[in-house]
Amino acid sequence: MFTNTLFLLSAVLTLGGAAAVVYTKNLMHSCVYLLASLFGVAGLYACIGADFLAATQLVVYAGGVVILMLFAVMLTGGSGNNINRYGLEKITAMGNTKTFFMAGLTAVVTSLVILKILASVFKSHSATVLTANEATVDKLGTLLATDHILAFEISSVLLLGALVGAAVISRPRKEKHD
Amino acid sequence: MISLGSYLAISFALFISGIIVMIARKNIIAMLLGIELILNASALNFVAYTKFSNNNLDGHIMSLFIIVIAAAEAAVGLGIVIRFFQLRESIHIDDAATLQN
Repeated sequence: MFTNTLFLLSAVLTLGGAAAVVYTKNLMHSCVYLLASLFGVAGLYACIGADFLAATQLVVYAGGVVILMLFAVMLTGGSGNNINRYGLEKITAMGNTKTFFMAGLTAVVTSLVILKILASVFKSHSATVLTANEATVDKLGTLLATDHILAFEISSVLLLGALVGAAVISRPRKEKHD
Repeated sequence: MISLGSYLAISFALFISGIIVMIARKNIIAMLLGIELILNASALNFVAYTKFSNNNLDGHIMSLFIIVIAAAEAAVGLGIVIRFFQLRESIHIDDAATLQN
């Protein structure tokens, strides 16, 4: 009962947040709606027993990525000039008819392809029995430190590279580029 | 109610909205938001198949690495966006056409 309520709430939060990210015109609001959608995904993780992943999702996305996005929005907002305030006035915010037509066409084609896959899943897995959820943290830790140790180390090197790269790319240059 | 089909449908809707954001928006930061939605959809798929198909935790590991890669991608992408804004005073995607002609 509780799990079903959590699942419904998370699904509504996820889908509503994603739709609002598509729909809203203000980039700031769009970031906040993305935060709602990511919270919903964390709830969906919690519904199927991925407790460590739910916590990681909350910490990394809500604490890191969305804040980073909001910082970038504010840094590129410009002080005082309304032209580039959120990059909105130059673009009528959501593109024109042509881009909407292309997006709709792509969505239709992609949904036709994927619904062909989804339909078979709905038929074959209609009556799955939910197994009991158990804690995954210790097993995940063991797996990360034994079987997937190489990928773990490589991802740490990747994070270091991304850190240094982001600092190098975005540091202010002294000379003037015209 | 909680089944593989519903999880796949949710992740499908997330993926489609990410694609629409990437195509219909002309703002570079908004396109990065779309990429985040798409990465979340794929991670959700991995976890759902782990739960409903087999219970070894490899899908969880894969989702963890997807989250790590999303964080790295957001950092580097936003660094590029800020540098682009310093050069061009704009974050409109059509202003990034130096290599086009």
